[in-house]
Amino acid sequence: MSREIPKSIKLLSTLPLNIVLNAVLIIPFAIMIYLAFLKWSPAMGIDWWMAAFIGIANFIRALGDVRFINALTNTAIYTVAVVSIEFFLGLLLAYLMLEEFIGRKAVLSLIIYPLMLPPVIVASVFYLMFQPYGPVNNVFLRAILGEDALRITWFLNPRLAFTALIIADIWQWTPFIFLILYSALSAVPKRLIEAAQVLGASSFTIFWKIRLPLIKPLIIVAVVLRALEAFKMFDYAYLMTGGGPGVSTETVSLYIYRVSVLYTDISYAAAMSLIVLVMLAIIIRLFIWYFFERVK
Amino acid sequence: MVCCSEKNDKDDPTTESQSSKQASIDKTRRAFLIALGTAAVGVGVGYALGYLTKPAEVIRETVERTVTITRTITVTPTPVPTPTPTPIPGLSGAASRAIAGVRDLLSRGVIAPGTTIRILHVAGSRANLEKAIELWSKYVPEVKIELITLGTEPDVYTKAMSEAVTKTGAFDAITIFSTWLGDIVEAGLARTLDDFYTKYDPEYIGPCAPIEPLGSYVTMYKGRRYSLTLDSDVFTLSYRKDLLTSETYRKEFEAQYRKPLKVPDTWEELIDMAKFFTELRLTAPSGGRVWGAYFYLEPAFAAYITWFNIFVEAGGIPFDLETMDPKVDSPEGRYAFDIILRLKPYMPPEAISAAWADLYDKFVKGETVFTAAWPSLTKEAMRPTSAVRGNVGTALMPGVEVEIGGRKIINKAAPNPVNWVGIISNYSANPEVAYLFLQFATAPDIGLDMVLTGVILDLFRACWFTDPAYRAKSAEGYGEEFLDEYMESIKISYPDILIRGGTEYLSKLTTEVNNVAAGLKDPEKALSDIAAEWDSITKKYGRDAQLEAWRALAQLFPDNVKNVWRAKGYMK
Repeated sequence: MSREIPKSIKLLSTLPLNIVLNAVLIIPFAIMIYLAFLKWSPAMGIDWWMAAFIGIANFIRALGDVRFINALTNTAIYTVAVVSIEFFLGLLLAYLMLEEFIGRKAVLSLIIYPLMLPPVIVASVFYLMFQPYGPVNNVFLRAILGEDALRITWFLNPRLAFTALIIADIWQWTPFIFLILYSALSAVPKRLIEAAQVLGASSFTIFWKIRLPLIKPLIIVAVVLRALEAFKMFDYAYLMTGGGPGVSTETVSLYIYRVSVLYTDISYAAAMSLIVLVMLAIIIRLFIWYFFERVK
Repeated sequence: MVCCSEKNDKDDPTTESQSSKQASIDKTRRAFLIALGTAAVGVGVGYALGYLTKPAEVIRETVERTVTITRTITVTPTPVPTPTPTPIPGLSGAASRAIAGVRDLLSRGVIAPGTTIRILHVAGSRANLEKAIELWSKYVPEVKIELITLGTEPDVYTKAMSEAVTKTGAFDAITIFSTWLGDIVEAGLARTLDDFYTKYDPEYIGPCAPIEPLGSYVTMYKGRRYSLTLDSDVFTLSYRKDLLTSETYRKEFEAQYRKPLKVPDTWEELIDMAKFFTELRLTAPSGGRVWGAYFYLEPAFAAYITWFNIFVEAGGIPFDLETMDPKVDSPEGRYAFDIILRLKPYMPPEAISAAWADLYDKFVKGETVFTAAWPSLTKEAMRPTSAVRGNVGTALMPGVEVEIGGRKIINKAAPNPVNWVGIISNYSANPEVAYLFLQFATAPDIGLDMVLTGVILDLFRACWFTDPAYRAKSAEGYGEEFLDEYMESIKISYPDILIRGGTEYLSKLTTEVNNVAAGLKDPEKALSDIAAEWDSITKKYGRDAQLEAWRALAQLFPDNVKNVWRAKGYMK
């Protein structure tokens, strides 16, 4: 004889986990929100719970902070650039990998290999690669531009420095999108493809009308996850350009890091983090609505 | 199956009373479970709140302890027992007292054998500290010293400020920039060392004391000692003597510029010479191109040094001495940017983007003619692996021609940025032992060995320049010429902005200097932005408190600089 487990038992059995999760998630988040309304820095010689409450002053300051706006703009451009390129490259690679060929498994392993590296290593390697006498100038560009290639100083020109960051990101994170889209494409029922072929649909039509609509939910997962990660980018900017030249490649994470740990203006950093959080939540929601829910 | 069995139970009248009983039991059980759940939530929330308020308890303890010490000193003025200064063969007085102090603590059982002291420091000082540890372990092997090494300078500040907030006691001592001292003391991390200075005498008075006024202003904050100096960091001009004294180049330069090729007295002269050597397109021993100059413009932390140096020499004052208003957006500020922008074409492009050590690397490889850096640059250039060994000249920093009372003079000043000092954490379990290690490491004899062994720590005691035995040893590492010029440079040296928020003031300045050097911002705009940023930092920490600190700091600038300030009406 079986009986449904009473609600109270269910509640009680999940209570420890609820407490832990709430403590882990909600309490730090609540502290961050509270900090955003204070005027506090460790260098003030008081603990945070003793700091003065200043209302929304930190938020107003952030909205008028040219450097914060610059960092947001840089980050937005960066995110759009890397996610778009990575999505198309990832999709292309995933589509090509559907075909059987010799050494396919080895190629598959090679493609996902960059994902296994810590971003700090990738940033250090790309920093060396983009030096004036590094392999990018000395090998690749020298073959095209000749000796002039050695005069290209990637990290002194804002656009080139930005490009270097984007290249590093694409190299490491295209496999992430590839992996999701490849598994999605592989799961598309073969009978649908075969039926379309029998009816005389071209490869492009099959891809556009059958495969792509079927993997749409996974595209959203890949793009949203990747966009969230790209928006938080810190490692490449910190290690490769230091946000420079000037603040031309400073991302929002790097700026918030500087404000919080270098200038120890922690309450202001908390306010900026909240602004970013709210902004991201709205953008992602709009993205999902525009591309997926609107059609329904 | 589940639905049917439930239905049967409900339909059967014989089971009604049982059901009612069961419902009552269920109700009681539900009530019990709700009560239990509430209690568990209460315990959880209570624990969480307790955890969150834990640091407050630490603070209360610290305050109580401070009060107790104050009372002991005031009510019962019993002098703290000083360990018998048993001279230890082969060790100076300060080192002997440090070792005797640790042995005393061990013998009295205050610390146990095997005690480990953890020091947080930057990678560049590892070899220096390892030398001191090697010597320490010969005398007190029972007390271990563990180094916690961080990669870059800002990482140390970050970690130190985190420790000030979290109060873990993970580090007993931390080596920091003297610029950070204000922030770190105010954050409650640095322990005052006045009592240890009195008890163990680190030799801060007398012929072997640290070079003044550096020794005092880098170790004191608001009149109390908070650190032991590990370093002195006055900038000098370094140049390739072989190129500057070459007869061929002298003739060529004189023919081209109608003036002699010599050690430049002003930045204007230096620009001409840098241009001359850059345009020669010489090849360094390393195979790289020789550039006329390399001065700091990099974005991480050092770009402010160059701008601030020219600004001060031109008679600029960072803050108004009456109002604390920033005075950087001024003719002196514009002049400093003008010099930087005119010098930039004769510097390697990496000056704008590479880390500070790149300047060292290029000079040691012979790829730059004129440069300015910390004393360790000369030490590196003296090493057997250096391509410029034996060809390095040292001079005072180039100056700026200014007018005082209708008379033109060349005003020279030397930056003293960084100055590593060692602080003891307020949250250390063994502050006294940590202090004793630092006293040992910085003692006249041990300290010189430490400085000469590693990279970033440099000569800081006066006797290392004056006492014949010590001087001979110093000259092996730095060369006689450097020792003489360095003592002269110290006389015209000025401190960093050693007030609360110093790191933030200088960091914002560095960003803007780098912006201008990279061509991303107009100097006028950069200066007005610096002024606005500085003003907001001042407001954050309180104008009156900052003004008081700045007024005290301004007195530490050299007399020649203060005379120009007076002539311009900046100082009374």
